Amino acid sequence: MVSSSRSEINHTSTPGQQLRRRALRHWGLMIGSALLGLIVLIALFAPFIAPHDPYAQDLTLRYLRVAFMGGTWEHPLGTDHLGRDYLSRLLYGARISLTIGLVAALISGTIGTILGVTAGYFGGRVDTVVMFIITVRLSMPVVLVALAVVALFGGSLTVVVLVLGFLLWDQFAVVMRTSTQQIRSQDYVTSARALGCSTTRIIMTEIMPNVFNNMIVVITLEMAHAIILEAALSFLGLGVQPPLPSWGLMIAEGKDMLFFEPFLITIPGLALFILIFAINMLGDGVRDVTAPENRN
Amino acid sequence: MLRFLLTRLGLAALVALTVSLISFSLLFLAGDPAVALAGEAATEEDIQAIRAQYGFDRPLPVQYVAWLTGALTGDFGNSYYFNTPVIDLITERLPTTMRLGLAGICFALLLAVPLGVIAAIRPNSLIDRFALFISVVGQAMPTFWFSLILIVIFAVALGWVPVSGSDTWRHFILPTVVLGYFATPGIMRLTRAGMLEVLRADYIRTARAKGLHPLKILFKHALRNAAIPVVGLAAVQLGFMLGGSIVVETIFALNGAGLLAFESINRNDFPVVQALILIFSLIYVMLTLLADLLNAWLDPRIRVA
Amino acid sequence: MRSSLLAAAIFAVALPFPVMAGSDDNSLKIAFTREMDTLNPFLNTTREGVILSRHVWDGLLHRDQATGEYVGNLATSWAWIDDTTLEFTLREGVTFHNGEPFNADDVVYTMNFVADPENGVNPQRNVSWIKEAVKIDDFTVRILTDGPFPAALEFLSGPVVVLPDTYFAEVGPEGMATAPIGSGPYEVTESVPGESLTLTRFADYHAGSPKGTASIDTIIWRTIPEANTRIAEMLSGGLDWIWQVPADQADRLAATGRYNVVNESTMRIGYLYFDASDRHGETPFDDLRVRQAVSHAVNRQAIVDNLLKGASEVVHSACFPSQFGCDTTVTRYEYDPEKAKALLAEAGYPDGFEIPFVAYRNRDYAEAMMADLANVGIRTSLDYKKYAATRDQIQAGEVPFAFMTWGSYSINDISAITSIFFKGGIDDYARDPEVIGALDTGDTVTDPEVRRAAYSQALNRIADQAYWLPLFSYNSNYVFDLDLNFTPTPDEIPTFYNASWQ
Repeated sequence: MVSSSRSEINHTSTPGQQLRRRALRHWGLMIGSALLGLIVLIALFAPFIAPHDPYAQDLTLRYLRVAFMGGTWEHPLGTDHLGRDYLSRLLYGARISLTIGLVAALISGTIGTILGVTAGYFGGRVDTVVMFIITVRLSMPVVLVALAVVALFGGSLTVVVLVLGFLLWDQFAVVMRTSTQQIRSQDYVTSARALGCSTTRIIMTEIMPNVFNNMIVVITLEMAHAIILEAALSFLGLGVQPPLPSWGLMIAEGKDMLFFEPFLITIPGLALFILIFAINMLGDGVRDVTAPENRN
Repeated sequence: MLRFLLTRLGLAALVALTVSLISFSLLFLAGDPAVALAGEAATEEDIQAIRAQYGFDRPLPVQYVAWLTGALTGDFGNSYYFNTPVIDLITERLPTTMRLGLAGICFALLLAVPLGVIAAIRPNSLIDRFALFISVVGQAMPTFWFSLILIVIFAVALGWVPVSGSDTWRHFILPTVVLGYFATPGIMRLTRAGMLEVLRADYIRTARAKGLHPLKILFKHALRNAAIPVVGLAAVQLGFMLGGSIVVETIFALNGAGLLAFESINRNDFPVVQALILIFSLIYVMLTLLADLLNAWLDPRIRVA
Repeated sequence: MRSSLLAAAIFAVALPFPVMAGSDDNSLKIAFTREMDTLNPFLNTTREGVILSRHVWDGLLHRDQATGEYVGNLATSWAWIDDTTLEFTLREGVTFHNGEPFNADDVVYTMNFVADPENGVNPQRNVSWIKEAVKIDDFTVRILTDGPFPAALEFLSGPVVVLPDTYFAEVGPEGMATAPIGSGPYEVTESVPGESLTLTRFADYHAGSPKGTASIDTIIWRTIPEANTRIAEMLSGGLDWIWQVPADQADRLAATGRYNVVNESTMRIGYLYFDASDRHGETPFDDLRVRQAVSHAVNRQAIVDNLLKGASEVVHSACFPSQFGCDTTVTRYEYDPEKAKALLAEAGYPDGFEIPFVAYRNRDYAEAMMADLANVGIRTSLDYKKYAATRDQIQAGEVPFAFMTWGSYSINDISAITSIFFKGGIDDYARDPEVIGALDTGDTVTDPEVRRAAYSQALNRIADQAYWLPLFSYNSNYVFDLDLNFTPTPDEIPTFYNASWQ
């Protein structure tokens, strides 16, 4: 819920300083960014920190256990059903999950922002049409449609990312529309219009910067959403293709041994959990810090 | 009010029409459904025979109009796999999904609303922290992972509930918890936020000043107002649940519409998938319509807007 | 308590599974993966349907699994009168579940009904060989075939069962699907679509049946799509019998000592095929050396030893070894990555090439093969799709390279596999006239020795030209209660009428 009322104004410091102070005091934001930062670092430097090639299989070394549970330190987190090093796959997997989340959020963000800002800025008929498109999209069962599309076109990283990107733009559109409506009536926008600035210019220079923090919040939400959905699609066998070490696929492949080697789903499951948790914390934090009166 | 109702109904119909067009064209991009129909053991002749029999050679717009005309009368054609009317399959299995969805949303409301209210009355208390924890965990835990863990603990290791099936209410416990839990964070946050806002409002302060009993204030004044957005969200969440119970139904072998959808996708059973997408959309549209009407009834200001 | 359990669930090596065994009421709870499309045995396309058909209906003949010989079931004797005429003497005193007596009219009605393509029997090849059936007297019938069809006995002992003519004429195919009536050892007493079937022992089952007398009173037949859920049910005592348990889980279940775990081979084989005839435009596979390179690159033995395990074996011919006509003495391609690289270099691909790789089941086997291929420089991108979509593309000529499998509908004759894929039809990517000619001969003559020679010629040519890389035979793991007597058979049709509780 976004509100534009500004109730508390602190006269002793600049808004930037206030923001920084609030951010540093917000433990959720701090924990979220730290964890996410760590995962991003892992993803970037996976080739340097991974002990093995994540694709190298050795059928004679299958299902090695985690080192402290009877495995060897050669494979600290054990090996999977094809004898591939689980730690290496986990580290490389961070790349897949982050890519899926980021690209899907970028696609959906672009679609949703364009629709939302257009609707909010122009209002009237345009708004009605966009609201209709949003309603249509909301009424379509996401998991079912995504499954059907992946089943039809074959699962691959590209297909999954595109499908998620084209399905998850609704929140962007809704939030951007509301924010734009609120800002449009603000004085500085009205005066810019009066000065004869072009519509594109007004949207790019006046509207976009002011809806940016709302956008960050939605981006985090939708990143998390996309990552979880990819995992669910992969679990159902209609996600990205092996041998890609996606965490969702790792859970899907490990689930066969659920009752016998639970670490195979616990480890990627926890990784996924931490990633989503970090992204959500970050999103909540950004929302709280940038709109302190809405801290819920 | 009547005008409001008519506009919303017209919009709902338009949405359904658009969704039907999308789902129809989407599923026919895949090419020839004859192979799916013929089954795994089929040979060339089987497939040719079926192709001719079902008239897949007709132009797509013709097939769409035929399908839509049928759909309006509840005739979605025959399932390729079962060779029985799609509508029979769906009416047979939708009740299980409905039961699951309703149980799920009730579970979510029973868990989320009290927690949200208490969290709002006592911000930063232990219960508030617990509520936050519940909501954070709920958002970050993949459904299938949660389901499997619950099965391992409560069905296999402890043996308290059956693993799968839908014979008795006990079979619904685990799936309800899983499905309901994922609606909890949203409802709880909204309840808490709504309560916080309402409790700050002037009329509550007035009521307090008048010396009304705190519980009376809470239930009669505060909750009623805070409930308005929650009702809307719950309806929307129910719609998502019905369309999203695929994973849960698959894991718990609940023979509902979600499982039917998943299996039909695997079998390339287009008529069933098309009909299900349309029906789930319709249900969602109906639910949001219902939520709007409820809101209008709870909050007369909406009616004029 | 809860947290320790959670920890156990997440990290423990073995959970404290309760011990479950036996049955109080002589019932058997079993589960299968797929929901049947219909209970009508002539329209059913699933393996589950084949199994149900054996329990609820009887055929004229029965194949003894131990000896491989055909014995009479609803027929007591039979003979080929000429190349296209089979005469049967029928068993007397047999009744259907609804009390209808069995006689020649049932056989004639059923055969003539299924032989008519209009009635849409699926798959057609089960019945397309039947021309018509003629009644000689109440217990003698003749079946005329469409040209010489040596495999007729195999079909009459399998998919072609006998329906009660009066009941069937009354209720039609739909009625047969909702309330099936047969003369088999079990009758269907309850059917909850998508969930369960209840089979009850047929008290008046004919005593002379080669299927024997059933012991289990009730069979609760459930549909559980998710493999883990089936195992969880097994662990918690909700089921008595499951099958097709992957090797790794079967090993672990066996290690608990609480279950009988039996491995049995199946007629299904896996294979890689290549677009040797350039159906999908130019691909490297039109060069024999490239096909041979792939054949040397894949370590089939390692996949069998580590992933399939059990009764699986590497196969070298384009058929299952027990099938009639399956000559196994063809050219073999041993695992030799160096030779594979050399062959690739010779063919002009010293650095290998890139190619999409289509598969529809056993993703782990596909992954293992992809790693082997990557070792010799062949970079594959996996396109893993559902069967229907895959086969559709293959038949449209769009897939140059795929990992497929074929189960021959458990028909112990090479015409059920090699002839389907190599006779120039839409599944044929080799389109070799020599192979087509040899298979044509094998499929139409009745002399077994001539057939054998013709099939051998075809199989040798296929292997020499490496049109397929036959991979391995599949196996199935059966997991069931320690107290259950059950013997699996290689035709992948579990027979619960032979099962009993100790």
